[in-house]
Amino acid sequence: MDSGLRKHLNILDYTLLSLWRRRLKNLSILLVFAGVIFLVASFELVTQALTETADRALRNVPEITLQRLSAGRQETVPLTYMERLRGIFGIREIVPRVWGYYFDEVSGANYTVMGMDRRRMPGGKEMDLALARGDMPDPEERGAAVIGQGVETVLRQKGGSLLSLFRPDLSQVSFEIAGVFAPATDILTSDLIVLHPEDARDLFRIPSGMATDLLVYVANADEVSTIARKIATLLPDTRVLTRTQIRKTYQVVFGWRSGFASVCLLTALTAFVIFAWDKASGLSPEERREISVLKILGWETADILAIRFWEGLLVAGLAFVLGCTAAYVHVVFYDASLFRPVLVGWSVIRPDLRLLPTPELANFLLIFCGSVLPYLAATVIPAWRSASVPAETALSGM
Amino acid sequence: MIIQCRCLTKRYPADQGMVAAVNNVNLVVAQGEFVIILGHSGSGKTTLLSLIGGLTEPDSGEVLVNGVDNWHQSDEALSDMRNRTIGFVFQFASLIPTLTSLENVLLPLSFGRVPRGSHEQAREILARVGLGDKMHAYPGQLSGGQQRRIAIARAFINQPAIILADEPTGDLDEETENDILRIFRDYNEHGTTFVVVTHNVHLARTQKNPRVLEMRQGTLLEQDGRFA
Repeated sequence: MDSGLRKHLNILDYTLLSLWRRRLKNLSILLVFAGVIFLVASFELVTQALTETADRALRNVPEITLQRLSAGRQETVPLTYMERLRGIFGIREIVPRVWGYYFDEVSGANYTVMGMDRRRMPGGKEMDLALARGDMPDPEERGAAVIGQGVETVLRQKGGSLLSLFRPDLSQVSFEIAGVFAPATDILTSDLIVLHPEDARDLFRIPSGMATDLLVYVANADEVSTIARKIATLLPDTRVLTRTQIRKTYQVVFGWRSGFASVCLLTALTAFVIFAWDKASGLSPEERREISVLKILGWETADILAIRFWEGLLVAGLAFVLGCTAAYVHVVFYDASLFRPVLVGWSVIRPDLRLLPTPELANFLLIFCGSVLPYLAATVIPAWRSASVPAETALSGM
Repeated sequence: MIIQCRCLTKRYPADQGMVAAVNNVNLVVAQGEFVIILGHSGSGKTTLLSLIGGLTEPDSGEVLVNGVDNWHQSDEALSDMRNRTIGFVFQFASLIPTLTSLENVLLPLSFGRVPRGSHEQAREILARVGLGDKMHAYPGQLSGGQQRRIAIARAFINQPAIILADEPTGDLDEETENDILRIFRDYNEHGTTFVVVTHNVHLARTQKNPRVLEMRQGTLLEQDGRFA
């Protein structure tokens, strides 16, 4: 065998022996390190999965949503605004929407109630495909509701088959459950109740001829910003939201939450690296003596660094693989049960969606660079400092 | 000549300025010689030994081992010389506490330049120093004398041409001391060159034809007081 190759095999052999000799210390570092990487990687994967899910769900959102503001507060929009908008070239369809939040005092849950005429919505038929069971009610049919998984869970807990809600004057109104949205759409539909527009108006006591907002569908996607600008000019008391802006809001929400958590976790990671540095830079007298003895016996500085490098790489690399694998299993197979409350929301009804992240090399590379490389530096640099000094001190027993 | 020191000087900083631990030392050692350097503590013996062994770089002068200047070769070549040509016996045992006796003895071979499968050779040397039954013991389980003998076995595992020993019998009982000096004499009779620094004046009597030198305040003298 080539002597250079044998030398490296012997160095690896010595490294494994050295790791084994300090197995308790190395095992504890490995476990702590793997735990920190698991947390960081889990957040990365959950954030990515949520952003992707939200992105998919937002594909059917109208290009423009029009709301009316008065004194900075949202007001209902007169349906007469629709007529004024028809003059703008490029608008394909305008659909009025009635929506609001409904607080259920019994369960403590907040529902999102929405009423709209899906016949007029491009892609409205696709809503049938988003149902796990039942059908979207006939557009003319009153008294029927389609609900999300979360609402259904609350309803089941109450033991009723009808959805009973209260108007502002506390008079009760009940709805038949016509269908339930699929879990895949949970992030947007979990707390949703879809009603006939007139039923929604009746529930919230919104006057006839008014809507909460107008959904504007545009024929040419390139014209969205131009049309949005024209609407804002034509109706100065309105707020014009484009789909891009809504998507950005979602990204900011998830980005903020994951960013907040990431900062906490990166702090933990940094603390670990500082701890490792402190541990490694403060080489014990035994470790320093070992390095001196090895040098005297003919080991080169490079050999000692190679041992330290392999030791660090094996511990940190194994921790990285373990941490990332555990994070993937945690997110994909256990739906990130540890972090869902932080990232998905604090509402009583938490979306029960399945998370399917697409592992991206760049994300793992970032975690690798932020964890394994600093640990390697924390291991090798002090050993280099120690190995670079003359070894004659070992002659006199230090 | 296996070792040549020419005008060797090494200074260290001290409270009163730079102090020469080794001052303009000249020494020539022939193959198979047994050189004993006597001297009090602080006379510069250990520094001279580390200069000869290529562990410390001199401020001036040169050390030639087998005709090659220690400090005119690469780190790799110098390490190779320390590994193959020189065996070190430290003032203290300097064993790695987490390795067994056998693993400690095999350490110079782990370097990779010597073929593997030398366990048998290590066992033989351990038996020769009287510790054949302590191969799997850790240093903490051995007495000071036994640890010293393990360190000696480690120094001989590569069959080096030169042994540099620093106070090899210090703090040892008489029996262990005699054992170690007998081992030295055996190896010396088979051609190994020894440079031993000690303050033990009786050590010379245990060897056949030792050459005794004295170190005084960094200067090396023949026993009759002449400069070496």
